[in-house]
Amino acid sequence: MGKISFFFKEAFGSLRRNYFMTIAALVTVFLSIVVLGLVLVFVFTTNELLGDVEKKVQINVFFKTDPDPTPDQMTALETEIGSWTDQVESVTFISKEEGLEEMRETYKDRPEIFENLTRNPLPNKLVVALVDPLLVDAVADLIRQQDPELKVLDEVNFGEDTAEKLFTITGQMRNVMVGFIALLGIVAILLISNTIRLSIFARKREVEIMKLVGATNWFIRWPFVIEGVTVGLVGAAAAAATVLVVNSYSVGKLRDLMPFLEIPLGAVPSTLVILVLLGVGVFIGALGSAIGLRRLLKV
Amino acid sequence: MIRFEEVTKIYPPSTVGLEKVSLHIEKGEFVFLVGPSGSGKSTFIRLLIRELEPDRGRVSVGGRDLSTLRRWKVPYLRRNIGCVFQDFKLLPNKTAFENVMYALVVTGNASSTSKKKASEMLSLVGLAQKAKNYPNQLSGGEQQRVSIARAFVNHPPLLIADEPTGNLDPETSLGIMQLLYRINKTGTTVVMATHDREMVDRMRRRVVQLEGGKVIRDQKRGGYGED
Repeated sequence: MGKISFFFKEAFGSLRRNYFMTIAALVTVFLSIVVLGLVLVFVFTTNELLGDVEKKVQINVFFKTDPDPTPDQMTALETEIGSWTDQVESVTFISKEEGLEEMRETYKDRPEIFENLTRNPLPNKLVVALVDPLLVDAVADLIRQQDPELKVLDEVNFGEDTAEKLFTITGQMRNVMVGFIALLGIVAILLISNTIRLSIFARKREVEIMKLVGATNWFIRWPFVIEGVTVGLVGAAAAAATVLVVNSYSVGKLRDLMPFLEIPLGAVPSTLVILVLLGVGVFIGALGSAIGLRRLLKV
Repeated sequence: MIRFEEVTKIYPPSTVGLEKVSLHIEKGEFVFLVGPSGSGKSTFIRLLIRELEPDRGRVSVGGRDLSTLRRWKVPYLRRNIGCVFQDFKLLPNKTAFENVMYALVVTGNASSTSKKKASEMLSLVGLAQKAKNYPNQLSGGEQQRVSIARAFVNHPPLLIADEPTGNLDPETSLGIMQLLYRINKTGTTVVMATHDREMVDRMRRRVVQLEGGKVIRDQKRGGYGED
C-alpha cells in the first residue's frame, strides 16, 4: 500500500462516510457551475449574434456618374482596396446595371417606380466588407485619400451614426457580461469553500489526532484536497452536461420563437465550455479545501 | 531526556499555566505528575509536544531545544513521543488495527513489515482478537489499550500519558498501568499526569507535584500525597 493509494483510499472513504456533506458540496458545486455555464453559453451566443450584426457594417464607395469613370480607373481602385488585406475582407464591384437589377428585385411589387426611367441613374459602386468592423472609420478615410480631389469618387459612406451607436451598445454589453461572469465566479468560490469548510470543521478532531501522531501538514492535506477536487470534478461534469443539453434544446426553441434574430447554432464551443467548467470545478474544489484546512493546520 | 529550565507559561490575559518550572527527567525514568486541576499538568504536557511554546525559559526533549525547532519539524518531534490521553483520541472510522497502523503510515511506513508490527503491538496489549473492531465496539479499557499500542508502535524514546486512567474503573486502570510499566521496562521514559491517588501510592515512583503552576514537591519514590 503506497502513500498515494493510501491518500485516495482515505479521501474516498471519507466522502462515503460523510455522504451528507458530500452531497451538500456536490449540489453547491453543481448549481454554481450550471449558472456559470449558462452565462457562458449566453455570452458566446450573444457575442456571435453581435458579431453578425457588426459584420453587416460595410462601406459603400460610390463612383461619379456624369460621366462614369473609365473601367480602368474603377478596377485600379478596386485592386488597391483589395490589397489592404489587413483591414479589408472583400471588395465587390457592383456595376450600375447590377445595381438597377438589384433594385428591381427589391421593389418587384411596385414596377411603376421604374416605368418612367429613361436611363440608369445609379452610380457604379464598390462594396467593402471589413476584417474588423471597428476600423470602419479609418478604412473609409483611407479610401477617400485615394482620390482627394474627387475625380473618380462621389461619396464614401457607411452610415456613420448607426455604426457608432451599434458599437457602443455591443461594447457595453460585452463589458457587462464579463463583469457578470467574474462576479459569479467569486460567488461560486465563496459558496463552495464555505461548504467544504463546514465539512472540514466537522472533522476537526480527526485532524487534531493526525497531528498528534506526527502527521505532516501535507500528509493531512492530501486526502482533503483529493476530496475537494473529486467533488469539484463530479459536480462540474454534471453541470457541463446539463448546460450543453439545455443549450442545444433552448437554441432550437428560441430559433422557432424568434426567427428574425437568426440565433447562431454552433456559437457555443462545447469542448472549450466543458474544459472551462471542469477546470473551474477542480480549481474551486482544491481552493475550497485549502482555505478550509488553513485554520486547522496551525499549531 | 526532558529538561525544563525556568519555564513560564501565561495564558492571556493573566492565568498562570506554569511559573519558573525547572525540572530534569532522565532517560528511562517513570514519573508521575500530580496535582489538582489547573495546577499545570496539562500545560507541562502540551509544552513537551510543542502544542504550546513557553513565554520564558527553555524546554528541551532528547537534547533538542524546542524553541529552536522549526515548525515543519514539529511532526518529526511528535513521532518520537508517544501520547496517550484520557479520551483515547482514536479515529472513530478506523478499526483498532488501522488506528495503530496510522501512526506508522504517517511516517511513510506502510510496508508489510509495519503491518506485522502493528499486529504484534495489538497482541502485546492483548487485543489481537479485536483488531477489526471499531472504537465504538470496544470498551473504555480496550480503547485505551489501542491508544497505547498506537503510541508505542514506533518505539518512541518518550511516552506521555495524560490521565490515561481517568475514565476507567480501578481494575481496568490497573491493567493499563501494568502496560505502561512494561513499556517503561523496555527503556522508554514515561511521564504520566494523573489524579489516581491509589495508583501512585501503589507504584512508588518519582512524583512531581504541581500547584498553581509551580513544582511544590519532587520525590524519588513518592506517594500521591506527602507522607
